[in-house]
Parts: sequence; structure tokens; C-alpha cells
Amino acid sequence: MSSSIQPEEKKPFPWHLIVFLGPGLLIYVTFSVYPLLDTLILSLYQEQSGESYFVGLENFVTLVTDENWSSAFWNALSNNFQFFAFHMLLQNPIGLILAVLLSSPKLRLAGTYRTLIFMPTMLSVVIIGFVWQLILSPIWGISEEFLYNIGLGQFFDAWLGKEGSALVTLSFISVWQFVGIPMMLIYATLLNIPDDIIDASTVDGANAFQTFLYIKLPLILPTIAMVSILTFVANFNAFELIYAVKGALAGPNFSTDLLGTFFYRTFFGFQLQQGSSTMGAAVATLMFLIILVGVMLFLFFVQRRIQRFQF
Amino acid sequence: MANLQLKNVQKRFGNVDVLHGIDLDIKDGEFVVLIGESGCGKSTLLRLLSGLEEISEGDLIIDDQRVNTAPPAKRGVAMVFQSYALYPHMNVYKNMAFGLKIAGQDKAFVKSKVTDAAKKLKIDHLLERLPRELSGGQRQRVAIGRAIVREPKVFLFDEPLSNLDASLRVQTRVELGKLHQELKATVIYVTHDQTEAMTLGDKIVVMNKGRIEQVGAPLELYHHPKTQFVAGFIGSPKMNFLSGKIHLQGTESTQVMLESGRIIVASVDSSHLHQGQTVTIGLRPEHFSRQCVDNILVGQVSLVEHLGEVSYLYMDLNGEGELVTKVDGDNDHRAGDELSFGIDPRKVYVFDEQGAALDRVKLQ
Amino acid sequence: MRLTQSFLSNISVRNVSKSTTVHAVLLAYTVIALFPILIVIVNSFKDRKGIFRDPLALPTSDTFSMVGFEQVLLRSDFGLFAWNSIIVTVLAVGLVLLLGAMAAWALTEYRFRTNLLITFLFAMGIMIPIRLGTVSILRLMVELNLVNTLTSLVLVYIAQGLPLAVYILSEFVRTIPKELVEAARCDAVSEYRIFFSIILPLLKPAMATVAVFTMIPIWNDLWFPLILAPSEETRTITLGVQQFVGQYVTNWTSVLAALTMAIVPVLILYTIFSRQLIRGLTSGAVK
Repeated sequence: MSSSIQPEEKKPFPWHLIVFLGPGLLIYVTFSVYPLLDTLILSLYQEQSGESYFVGLENFVTLVTDENWSSAFWNALSNNFQFFAFHMLLQNPIGLILAVLLSSPKLRLAGTYRTLIFMPTMLSVVIIGFVWQLILSPIWGISEEFLYNIGLGQFFDAWLGKEGSALVTLSFISVWQFVGIPMMLIYATLLNIPDDIIDASTVDGANAFQTFLYIKLPLILPTIAMVSILTFVANFNAFELIYAVKGALAGPNFSTDLLGTFFYRTFFGFQLQQGSSTMGAAVATLMFLIILVGVMLFLFFVQRRIQRFQF
Repeated sequence: MANLQLKNVQKRFGNVDVLHGIDLDIKDGEFVVLIGESGCGKSTLLRLLSGLEEISEGDLIIDDQRVNTAPPAKRGVAMVFQSYALYPHMNVYKNMAFGLKIAGQDKAFVKSKVTDAAKKLKIDHLLERLPRELSGGQRQRVAIGRAIVREPKVFLFDEPLSNLDASLRVQTRVELGKLHQELKATVIYVTHDQTEAMTLGDKIVVMNKGRIEQVGAPLELYHHPKTQFVAGFIGSPKMNFLSGKIHLQGTESTQVMLESGRIIVASVDSSHLHQGQTVTIGLRPEHFSRQCVDNILVGQVSLVEHLGEVSYLYMDLNGEGELVTKVDGDNDHRAGDELSFGIDPRKVYVFDEQGAALDRVKLQ
Repeated sequence: MRLTQSFLSNISVRNVSKSTTVHAVLLAYTVIALFPILIVIVNSFKDRKGIFRDPLALPTSDTFSMVGFEQVLLRSDFGLFAWNSIIVTVLAVGLVLLLGAMAAWALTEYRFRTNLLITFLFAMGIMIPIRLGTVSILRLMVELNLVNTLTSLVLVYIAQGLPLAVYILSEFVRTIPKELVEAARCDAVSEYRIFFSIILPLLKPAMATVAVFTMIPIWNDLWFPLILAPSEETRTITLGVQQFVGQYVTNWTSVLAALTMAIVPVLILYTIFSRQLIRGLTSGAVK
């Protein structure tokens, strides 16, 4: 045995891994993963005078069938779907149109338009809610005066105060605020399409509209799909706008109630009803499931079929 | 198939003149190569022909029709882009069929066209693939196929080989030449590679700073460049240039004195110049000979490049400048060797101060 | 010849009118996007009469008044709210950047058994909103005695911001050439020095993007301040404004002034950093 060959040193414990990953992971798991899982578990319990006991799916059954709960729950859910549908129908098409216009070749001031149109997106939903509340207020009368000036005065109404129009109005406000996001993302995708491809289509005889329909639109579909799922998650998680403009009661007569405000009321209680953390957890769990299903559907049916294109 | 005429075609971007008035005649079935350094306006000219850019002034005439403002498809042109510009979301078939589909052709017709073209280009087994699943060479073929199916009057190629690796480039070049003979189409081909220009072109258009320097057949440009620019552009290695002054003028023979006092004799007509006027002489590396006794130049070898068949010797002419000579590959020259070369006066080019070539006396 | 000329002029007329239409639409939408905000800002500098008599007019010497701002500053601790927001945002963003970069580096550079699981865990957090765990977060904060402290907000916001930060920074780490790190390892540089003196400086541009994306939702958040730290001393600006407007809803001068005070600093910051933000949005960092 030659002594010059020494046994290989044992690989030292990878302390650096713990140092790099540990702190971030610890905070993330403690304040995000654990609470989420804990909430899911909590939704299977009930509490009475400080004692908690396992009740299985009873909270969920209560939510969807009990007369004190179910109408409020189904109302919030249905409102939430309307809220989402409204965004899909308005926010994405408007964003698409603005993005296409912004990407017109040799457009002057494109950067300025882009910056200004994106501005409302930067502000807090709460602030935007208040701003629109003032603008639409019949007391101040700005909107009313404006509508009279363009000859539509008779259509003015206290939209935010009426049961039939409050949710639509709030959807409008939200669309107005967030239209910048689809605009920006679609715009970026349009800019990434090489000029040569557009030129090739022109030489192939396509006019501007055909080029848009056959070349550009298919290439921005993945972006539109992504914007849609972002909108879905944001909408089913919305709270601030309703809370700022209509309060936790989401009036008039709960016509603007979304799952977010319903969750808040369930957890903290309102008027005579006592807050319940287990029922709150049950609502949160349902929201979690809805979002999860939405994201999964997106991943499995949309994302898989629409491949990204490298140029 | 078409005749093309450009009359004083100009292009301005804002205040910047990019093309200063291009006159060019292209005959039916001709393979015309536009060549020049980057920024010389050759790609702009191609885009004007395609209709992707508007002509600022002048006329573009295809088959007696002024088509300045006609959209690309109406002009009957098809283009192959340097980047291939395949539609990334369409498979090969759809890429090739797109133009016909837009033109409203019926499906059976489109299918037969695309299948024919695909067979011709040997890509018929790839029709279902997406562009990103293809190699560079295959993409190139699809791009050509997309142009072929439309049966255009004029094919426009924008540096189509520059994204291919060297060996594939040679192979594709040969195939393009064959394809042209088969289709008998009018082709306008932009490149900065003189080998492509020399091998493919029936006619080469050398462009410089937005102007045409010279138009001619490949060998005509090689033997009779009209300007110093063309002389330097065509030929590899580049022509050597040495500056000097007219020593003795004449109609059949001219003597030029180099800065060192050495006299070089050239068979060119310098009768319109006067003695002492500054000129540049041009000597092609391949025209030097060790046996020749005329115009002897002596120098030291500073570097030898052996390419096998030939070798390039980089010579330092003891204060008269530097030059490259091309010699037979079967040699044992080394750096530091002192060598002398001669060159036939009939193979010496002379350019005046404006860069225009002096007329060479016709070789018998 | 005349025919072709009229054809030519037709074309240029059509091009001009097309670009005019594009400008008209974009300008119209820009007005729609800015009008409500501008109206609020303009009217906050007027007295009550001026606000109601002619809302669209700029303040004149007759109607100009700062009374709204005076009232806001008198009746609420706006400076403190702003300070709270700044502290929470700066701490949370700073820690998200540092911890996120370290985690992204560890997850992309080192191979270990739980790597995939942890990567997946972080990826989930991009899509699943942390808010859904609020019930348990509140319980946890009560147990940790952190309710009504800025610490609770900082911790939650770090957890909220990390997933996207880890994702974007990981994508960026992958673009760093391996040779850089391998060369350093050959010189026996420690893993810590490799990260802090080679990798971290290279990550700067990506970190700027992450900073902007992390900062905006934190600054604008109402939910967690409302639930975790609603006390007067720990109120953030968004919560402060919400509470103030709720309380003085009929006092128009104050409400307009409060909103303006919340809007203007953000707009100024946005104008300064908009290029950075838009580059981040359009660079494909968030695909």
C-alpha cells in the first residue's frame, strides 16, 4: 500500500445550502404554505367556547345548503362569475385593441400613451374606488353634467347605489383600472414578433387585417390566455374595491358581494352575526378550490395546446 | 416571368438619401445579384422592388406596367428572407399554402401546388412539421418553397444563405443555381458574399453608398472593373493597391512612378491625364509571377498562409508598401525570405484620383 | 400620369387619416384613463364652493384653497401613515430581493433531493393568493404577539413576494454562464463569496424588475393592514386613507385632499421609474 494515496475526504455537510435557502423558505412556509394548509384543515373543524372539534364537511354543507348561509354564498359566487365575465368581455378586448394601436409602425408618442394609459393600474384599488365614487356621485354631479353635455343626460343615474347597476359599475371601474395589464403584455408580445414575419405575410398578399387575423392573433393567443388566468385569480380574490366603495356589506342588498367580501364578513362577523374562523376557513377553502380548478383547467387545456413560439 | 426596369429610383428616409437614383434593366429569366457592403442600399433596393417600402421618386416597371404603388402580391414578386421568416405557428404545409390561401385559391389547387413544390425541394416528408422542428437548411427550403408555390414573376432573395453553416451554404448555392435553371425565373439576389455573386449571377450589380458602381457579367467585373471600388470588391484575396504618379503618359502604355521611384508599366490609356498626376495602381495577387521579367517588385515575406492548392504570401516591399501574392501551393517559402515578382503590364490596373479605371488596351 | 398621381395622393391621404385615427383613439383613451385622477387632484386645491360650482375648472385666485390638506393633516397622522408604508415596503422588498436571490441561486445551482419539491412549492405561490390563508395567519400573529406591529406586515409581504421573485430570478440565474462560477470554484473561492461577489452583482437588473413588481402590491394593499395592523400607530397609507375617507365622507375638501396626497407621490415615483417598470413588463421576465 502506497501511503501517497489518501482516503478521499468526506464531502462536508452543505451548510451553504441551508444558509441560502433556509431563511426564505422558513418565512415562506411559515407565513404562506402553513397558513394555507392550516386553513384547509381548519375548515373541517368547528369551535365552541374555546374547544375545537372535527366535523368533517359539515361547514361546507352549511355553506351551500343552510338557509342562513347558502343564499349569501351562491349570491357572492354568481356575482363573482359576473365580475369575471365582465373583465373577460371588456378588459382583454380593450387591452388588445390598445396594444395593437400602440404597436402601429412608426407611431409617434407611443411611449407617452403607454405610460399614461398604464398609470391607473399603479394606484391602489382603494384610491381608485374612492375617486370613481366621487366622480359618479350625484351630489357632485360631474358625470351627470358630462352626460348632459353630450346629450345623454337622461341616462344618468346613481349607478353605484342601485341594486341593478352597482356590480356592473364596479366591474367597469375595475376594468378601467386594470386594462393596462393586458395592454402591456400583449403589446410586448406584438413587439417581439419579428418584422420579417409581418413582411413575409405582406409579400404573401395579406392585407393589414388578414395579417392580424392569421399571423399576429395566433401569436398573441398564449399571452391572452395568460392574462385571462391572471384576471381569473385576481377576480376571485378581489376585495378592496367593493370594501372601499360599498363597505363590507357590499350593498345595496349584497348586490356587489364577491367571495372576498363574503369571506371577510364570515370571518369577522357583521351586524348581528358573529364572526367564525372555521366558517371563514371554509369559505377560503372553497375560494382556494375554485382558483385551483381554474388554474388547473388553464394548465391542462389551454397552456398545453397553445405552445409558445420562439422566433 | 418578367422584364424589370428601374428608372432613376430614389429612396429617402426622412432627410437621409439612401438610394440616389438607380437605373437598371433586368431581362426575363435573368439571375441578377446585388452586391455591396452592408449599408450600401442593396437590401433597401430589394424592399422597394418587393413593395415593402415606398419608392420616393422614379419608376419601377414590371412588364411595361408602372408598379410603384402596387401592393407586393399584385406585382407578382415573392421574397425569401435572410431569417426565413417562417410563420412559427403554422406547419410547413400551411406556411407554403398561406399566399395561395390569401389569394382565395381553392383547396385542391393549393394542395397540388404545395405538394409539387415540396417534392421539387425534397421537403415533402416535412409538411406536417412546425418550423421550430426543422434544421436551418430545411427552413431555408421551406422559405424557398413558399416563394415557388405562388409562381411569381420575380423572385427576391435577401441574403438567403448567410444563416447557414459553410458546407451547407456551398451545397445550397449549387442547388439554387440548378433551381434557377429549372424554373427559368427572374431572380434578384442580395448578398455581400462575392463567391455567391460570381457563381450564381448572370449579371452582378455592385452597389456602393446608394449608387450603382458597375453592372456586368461576373468575368467582366473581374477583368474590367470600371472603378477602384469594384476592383477591390471582386476577387479574393483583394486586389493590391499602390499609389504613385504618372511618369509617362500614353495611349497604349503608361508609366507610373511609385513613391520609392520605381517605375511600373501598364498597358492602359492615360492620354487624358498629365504627368505628375496622382494615380493608384491595382495588382491582383494571382497575376504575380516569379518568372515574369516585367515590373519587378522585391520584398520580404512577412507571413505565409498555406491553403493547400495555393499559398498567399504577404510581402513587405521595403518601403514601397505591402502586398499579397498568390503562388502555387507547392512551395517552401517562409517568413523572412526575400523574393522578387514580376507582373505583365497588360495585367496592371490604373485608377485616377476619382477612382475611375483607365481604359485597358484590348488584349489580342 | 394624372391618374397615377391622384392614386398616389389618395394613398398618402389614406395613410395620414389612418395614423390620425390611431392617435385619436389612443388620445381618447388616455383622457379616459387620466381624467378621473386629474379631476380629483385639481379639485383638491379648491374650496368647497369651487368644487361644486364648476368641478372642471382649474383653481382660480377666488377658489384656490389648501383647507382640505390642512384638515387632513390636522385630523389624521398622515405623515406617520406614510412613514409606516415606507418602512414596511422598503423592509419587505429588500428582504424579498435578498432572500429571493439566495433561494433562486440555491435552487438553480445546487442539486439536492428536495430541490424539485421546493421549486414546486414556490411556483404554487405565484398562482395561489396568500390571502386565502388569512384566518390562520391572524391566529399565528396572535400567538406570536405580532398583531398591530409592522413586523407582521413585513413577514407576510415577504412570504407574498418570494414566489414571483424566486421564479424571475431563477430564470435569470440560468442565463449566467457556468464558466464564471466554475472558474471561481477552481480558485477555491467559497460558495458564499461566489454568490455575494459574482452572482448578486449580475442579478441587479433582474432585481430591479422584481423590486418594482413586489413593491406595488405591498404599497397598495388594504387587506393585511386592515386585518393584521389596524391600530392608529401602525396604519399604512392605504388603510389610513380608507379610514379617513370613510370617517369624513361628507367633507369633500378633506376627502379630495386625502386622495390627492395618496395619489401624487405614487404618480411621481411612477413617472421616474416607469421606464424600468415597463422594461420589466415587456422584457418577458414575467412570461
